[in-house]
Amino acid sequence: MNHFVRNMLVIARRDFLSIVATPTFLLFLLAPLFMIGLGAIGGLGASQLADSARGAGRIVALADAADIEALRSADQRLRAALAGRGAPPTLLIRVAAPGDDPRAVMREKGSDTYAVMHGPLAAPAIVEQEAGSRSGRYLALLADAVMRDRAAGTVTPVEARFESVATGGTSVAAQQSMGFGAVFTIFLLTLLLAGQAVGMLAEEKGNKVIEILAAAVPLESVFLGKLLGLLGVAILFIAFWSAMAVGGGFIAATQMDPAAVAAANAASPAAAALGAAPATGWAFFIAICFAYFVMEFLLLGAVFLGVGAQAGTVREIQMLSLPITIFQVGMFSLSAAAASAPGTTLATVAQIFPFSSPLAMAARAATDGDHAVHLLALGWQALWVGLVILLSVRLFRSGVLSGGGGWKFWRGTARAQGDSPALR
Amino acid sequence: MTDYSVEATGLSKDFGGFKAVDGVSLQVPSGSIYGVLGPNGAGKTTSLRMTLGIIDPDAGQSRLLGGHAPRAVRHRIGYLPEERGLYPGMKAREAIAFMGALRGLDWREGRRRAAAFMGELGLERVVDEKIRKMSKGMAQMIQLIGSIVHAPDLIVLDEPFSGLDPVNQERLEMLVRRERDRGATILFSTHVMAHAERLCDRIAIIARSQRRFEGSVDDARALLPMQVRYTPRGDADAPAIAALLPAGAERRGDAWYFPVDDTAIEPLLTRITASGFGVAGLSIARPGLHDAFVHIVRQVDAAFDADATSDAVEEAAA
Repeated sequence: MNHFVRNMLVIARRDFLSIVATPTFLLFLLAPLFMIGLGAIGGLGASQLADSARGAGRIVALADAADIEALRSADQRLRAALAGRGAPPTLLIRVAAPGDDPRAVMREKGSDTYAVMHGPLAAPAIVEQEAGSRSGRYLALLADAVMRDRAAGTVTPVEARFESVATGGTSVAAQQSMGFGAVFTIFLLTLLLAGQAVGMLAEEKGNKVIEILAAAVPLESVFLGKLLGLLGVAILFIAFWSAMAVGGGFIAATQMDPAAVAAANAASPAAAALGAAPATGWAFFIAICFAYFVMEFLLLGAVFLGVGAQAGTVREIQMLSLPITIFQVGMFSLSAAAASAPGTTLATVAQIFPFSSPLAMAARAATDGDHAVHLLALGWQALWVGLVILLSVRLFRSGVLSGGGGWKFWRGTARAQGDSPALR
Repeated sequence: MTDYSVEATGLSKDFGGFKAVDGVSLQVPSGSIYGVLGPNGAGKTTSLRMTLGIIDPDAGQSRLLGGHAPRAVRHRIGYLPEERGLYPGMKAREAIAFMGALRGLDWREGRRRAAAFMGELGLERVVDEKIRKMSKGMAQMIQLIGSIVHAPDLIVLDEPFSGLDPVNQERLEMLVRRERDRGATILFSTHVMAHAERLCDRIAIIARSQRRFEGSVDDARALLPMQVRYTPRGDADAPAIAALLPAGAERRGDAWYFPVDDTAIEPLLTRITASGFGVAGLSIARPGLHDAFVHIVRQVDAAFDADATSDAVEEAAA
């Protein structure tokens, strides 16, 4: 094996084991549980609020006793056609009494009343919370439906025949959604995992091992080895949670009633999304997204490692985390915009700019069936990983290790007399 | 023709206007033990780092192990830096194997050799101890083993004895000699003359960023005249004896102390015998490396101070 590669693997092995074989790693590995837990609690609260808001709203019809059945029947019919998000609030039908004040009904406590209809159905009066509200229009439609039913007399109910026709292939919108999903997933993983690279050389600088490494192996292999070690940790993290998800899904499936599962699948939007396919096909898409995650991780990790290597203190490293996060969010925004506008100049720029390229190309894999372009992109990104590493090493050797130049990009200090700070 | 493992010529390094090393050259014969001596801050460590290619010199060049660029023969070099560095969470055996692996040694072989070395040095009980639990001296021995576990051709040790107790210093000297006997070249820096005197075949003395001496330990000692301690028999007349001895002879109790050139010893003995003062005690000894070192460094300092004074006078005059 080539000396360089062997040295790199020695460093990667050391770093990987030193991270994984600690109790802290367990905390790191299980951190998403806290995120999921907090998300679930927040989601539950929001859902309860939404439910309570939905349940509390109503519309009211003050009608003659003779009209009540007709109103109820028309409401059922109309409500069936307007099911889902367009469904009107719950209808409360009351027998109108002399002296009923629709405004008083609007003000009744215990629920929000969006609109109240009163008077004869042929010429109903509607009081509403907001002028031109959907609730008010619905009550008017209800009165109109009752009046039309009466005018038409007894009509045999229409029996419509429904037939679903597949349009052939996944819609462009669904593929763009997949592209965005890929961009978001890769961004989230790199945000969670690659940022650690910024402090990776701090240990060696702190315990003076850096001089031993610098004497024994090329610094390029130290930098790359450290990145690979961290990448190994990231892949372990992803593998663990993927296994948990697959295993959890499998266990849940075996514990549930198969008929209920089938029914749930048929109605689920997720199942519908799985029915769609990215332009390059699922297998290629997943593989290439993983490859782009690796590239994005290496690219951003190399930048962070190089920047962090210039930092002299833990405080400097901490200060760097904000610009680093902003940089990552910037790359995400650019790629997300590219994902929603495939084929545009913006998308091309995002695909070429090295630090957004993996994200934007993952989005492209969802909407464009061309496979070969991804090989080119991976090569381009790998080239940039190499360039960033070379530049980082050069800066580290001349600016930190040799104490020469005194160049730091966030401060232009000249070195004090004496020896190299990294080797002191 | 002498075969050199280290050929560094004209190495210079400037840190922000401070000339840390100024034109230092080192030629270390293969298979020898070579000491780089100098006071604190003289530029020893920076010279070694440039020699090994850890930092780039501003001027000069270094060639190692048959004319190779330092970075091309990293795997054939063992290096113990002045600042000891180990991963505190690593076990001793793993730390040594890791350092060996960095130089191309197989991990398993590294672990095996680590245990063997530690056994020889009486460290077998801490083979699987984490570095953070070890004393500073023990950790230093672990690092030393790590720097030679891959059987390098050139071993560079920067202040290897500092922080070690006398027993471990003795073990280290033994280890250095054994590595030399194996065929390795050893280059080490120190400011403790006793170790250099016992170990080194040749030395270089660096002071004020420049090499001020190069040669064998005996060559360095020969820079100073012999020191004589003479005690006359009976109550001799002091002025008469002083007249007999070289100028600058100093009396302390019954004895007289004075330096004498190698060529003047025999005439002096003849004079003493002929004078009739007799000899109750006489010792003629070559000064140690310590004295030679202090002599060289003081000369450099004096010249430096004289230059500084003359510069100040010129500046004031201007």
